Amino acid sequence: MASDDDALPTLKILLIGPSGAGKSALLKRYCDDEFDPESSTATIGIDFKIKKLSVRGKPYRLTLFDTAGQERFRTLSTSFYRGAHGVLLVYDISSRASFLTMDRWFEEVENNTVPDVALYLVGTKLDKAETSRAVSVEEGEALAAAHGAHFCEASAKTTENIRKPFVEVVDMIVSNPALLAGKGRGRTAGTVDIGSGGDGEGYLSGCSC
Amino acid sequence: MESLSDTVWDVVICGTGLQQSLLALSLSRSGKKILHIDPKEYYGGPDAALSLQEAERWQTEQASSSAASSSIFSSARIWQPSEGAGLSSSRSYSLALSPQIIHTSSTLISQLVSSRAYRQIEFLAVGSFFIFKPSPDPSSQSPPSLSRIPSTREDVFSTTAIAARAKRSLMKFLKFVLDYNSAPNSEVWQPRASEPLSAFLAEHFNLDAELQAYVLALTLSLDGRITARDGLATIHRHLTSMGVFGPGFAAIYPKWGGTSEIAQVACRAGAVGGGIYMLGTGIETVAERSGDSDELVEIQLTNGTPVKTKLLVRGDEERVADDAQEISRLVTIVASPLSSLFEVVVEGAPAPAVAVIAFPPGSVTEEDRSVSEYPVYAFAHSSSTGECPSGQSVLYFTTLATSTSEAVLQSALDALLSALRDGDEAPKCLYQLRYKQSRGLTSVKTDGNMVQLPAPSLSLAFDDSTLQSVHEAWRVTMGSASQEPETDYMIFADREPADDYDDED
Repeated sequence: MASDDDALPTLKILLIGPSGAGKSALLKRYCDDEFDPESSTATIGIDFKIKKLSVRGKPYRLTLFDTAGQERFRTLSTSFYRGAHGVLLVYDISSRASFLTMDRWFEEVENNTVPDVALYLVGTKLDKAETSRAVSVEEGEALAAAHGAHFCEASAKTTENIRKPFVEVVDMIVSNPALLAGKGRGRTAGTVDIGSGGDGEGYLSGCSC
Repeated sequence: MESLSDTVWDVVICGTGLQQSLLALSLSRSGKKILHIDPKEYYGGPDAALSLQEAERWQTEQASSSAASSSIFSSARIWQPSEGAGLSSSRSYSLALSPQIIHTSSTLISQLVSSRAYRQIEFLAVGSFFIFKPSPDPSSQSPPSLSRIPSTREDVFSTTAIAARAKRSLMKFLKFVLDYNSAPNSEVWQPRASEPLSAFLAEHFNLDAELQAYVLALTLSLDGRITARDGLATIHRHLTSMGVFGPGFAAIYPKWGGTSEIAQVACRAGAVGGGIYMLGTGIETVAERSGDSDELVEIQLTNGTPVKTKLLVRGDEERVADDAQEISRLVTIVASPLSSLFEVVVEGAPAPAVAVIAFPPGSVTEEDRSVSEYPVYAFAHSSSTGECPSGQSVLYFTTLATSTSEAVLQSALDALLSALRDGDEAPKCLYQLRYKQSRGLTSVKTDGNMVQLPAPSLSLAFDDSTLQSVHEAWRVTMGSASQEPETDYMIFADREPADDYDDED
């Protein structure tokens, strides 16, 4: 049934990055305020999560897509990237190897999305900064700047900065009207809705003249 | 993270063509341990949609490797006049290797809806069907033309292209088809079931050559010699598909490359269900087996990794016999939106993104004045399909392969562009990809715990028998669990999470 919420502008936002960077933890903490320190397995059963968020006084419906494990062997499909308004690129600040893959992830995003897509680089596991930081804040900032992305570090464990990347990427999206209204986003005019059940009238319908 | 070699897989699926991908979708809630691989670097296998760069690599592979002699694809060639001038970037294009329209009554549509996979796919309307009419007198200057096949009852009545008497015959036939499988109609055609449809149309319904051509075009019959039985079934499918999801169209086409998009979305569903995906990785060898079905299949992947699985499902992409049915294809990018093909002709209809042009046998003349023996079909895709940038369009030509079929396709292309000329200028071709595609294995082959799915059907409209092969492979994979009533095959609930609200500070 249609509710008022269905009328909200929907934004498609992707979380990508290497396995173990904490994409799902970030998503779970932000959407459900849950954190499982034991969970280290690849994500199963989550297609996307929905979150409503108001930015600058206007509500939006975010659809937040996880990689469903397809980052492991870098097999995200072109269809996954279609229509994305924003992408959070996620690495682990306590893993140098994780950070070093980010150039390739930026390249993949830039190959599969439109040029004005909102990019946001997130360094996760900020709670480990004192004990095992392997990537400096400056390095993160420099990489983000090189790709025209915004940047922050966050922790799903302590919830520090947990909302920041989501709120700011939405802010980037909605302050770019071309991106919101851009061609090839959302449903194209002329799209056929097959989900509402076919009940058309067939070839010989109409007047019986 | 568990290693690929330590896991005993329930099933390894090789290839991400439409069938293997639908199998992955059907198993996505089964809890089975699934490893899904593809030797190509992209999804879709023989159903893939390729960027220009991918098309070039694909063509080179076809031409060079020893695969060329055994693949269902052969004779691939790319031609770019003036070295690609006028083309946009490689990724602005998505050329479908095996484009198929999907009738709205197809079980594929209902399975995509019931499995919830459809939410990530945009469907576009397939609009008008046209008949190509050669120039009436080759020596005159009058160009060839296109005649639109009336798509609704009102359309039949209002068209000026058909004489009043012929209209009555046509309406009589259409009414007959809608009820063709019950008495007394069934008694009329059954004795003539194996005769050509055209003879049945001429003799029983008095349809003239032109109306026969209209009806045959709707069947998309590759040899033009479709039987009364098969022809009536396909016309029935067309008529009952009309208007199902809105006025003015009987078939739909997934945006961004057709079935390739369905394959990708189905694989994503497989991944969400826990399946592991690897591209650029095929099967190097399968260990000799004793024939005991409890024995695990031991596979060496092309990246050197050994894996063990209870079942191996592969797609068929190999030519089976030299006399297998074969088609010639020509894909071309045209520097014109070809707007006249994509007009909305029925009130309230969505703007069509695909048009079909049928060239009846004999309508295409080659330089040596010989005429085409078989029908030629062209699918015109507008830039709304996402397969080319705006201002351009993609034409997909198909005909049965013969010694002259490549030349026939070229002549059909030239003739179509001439029919579509705007003023003095015919639209320009920017790019051409040609290849042949043969029908491989036509049914599922099961040997112990190895299953081989058929090669893709060559038909231009999606063939529902493809789904039976997938269902059969699903049964084998599920083993005894599939003995239970199969009422929930491909029926899944949304994985959609509860809504949360995050208020601005």
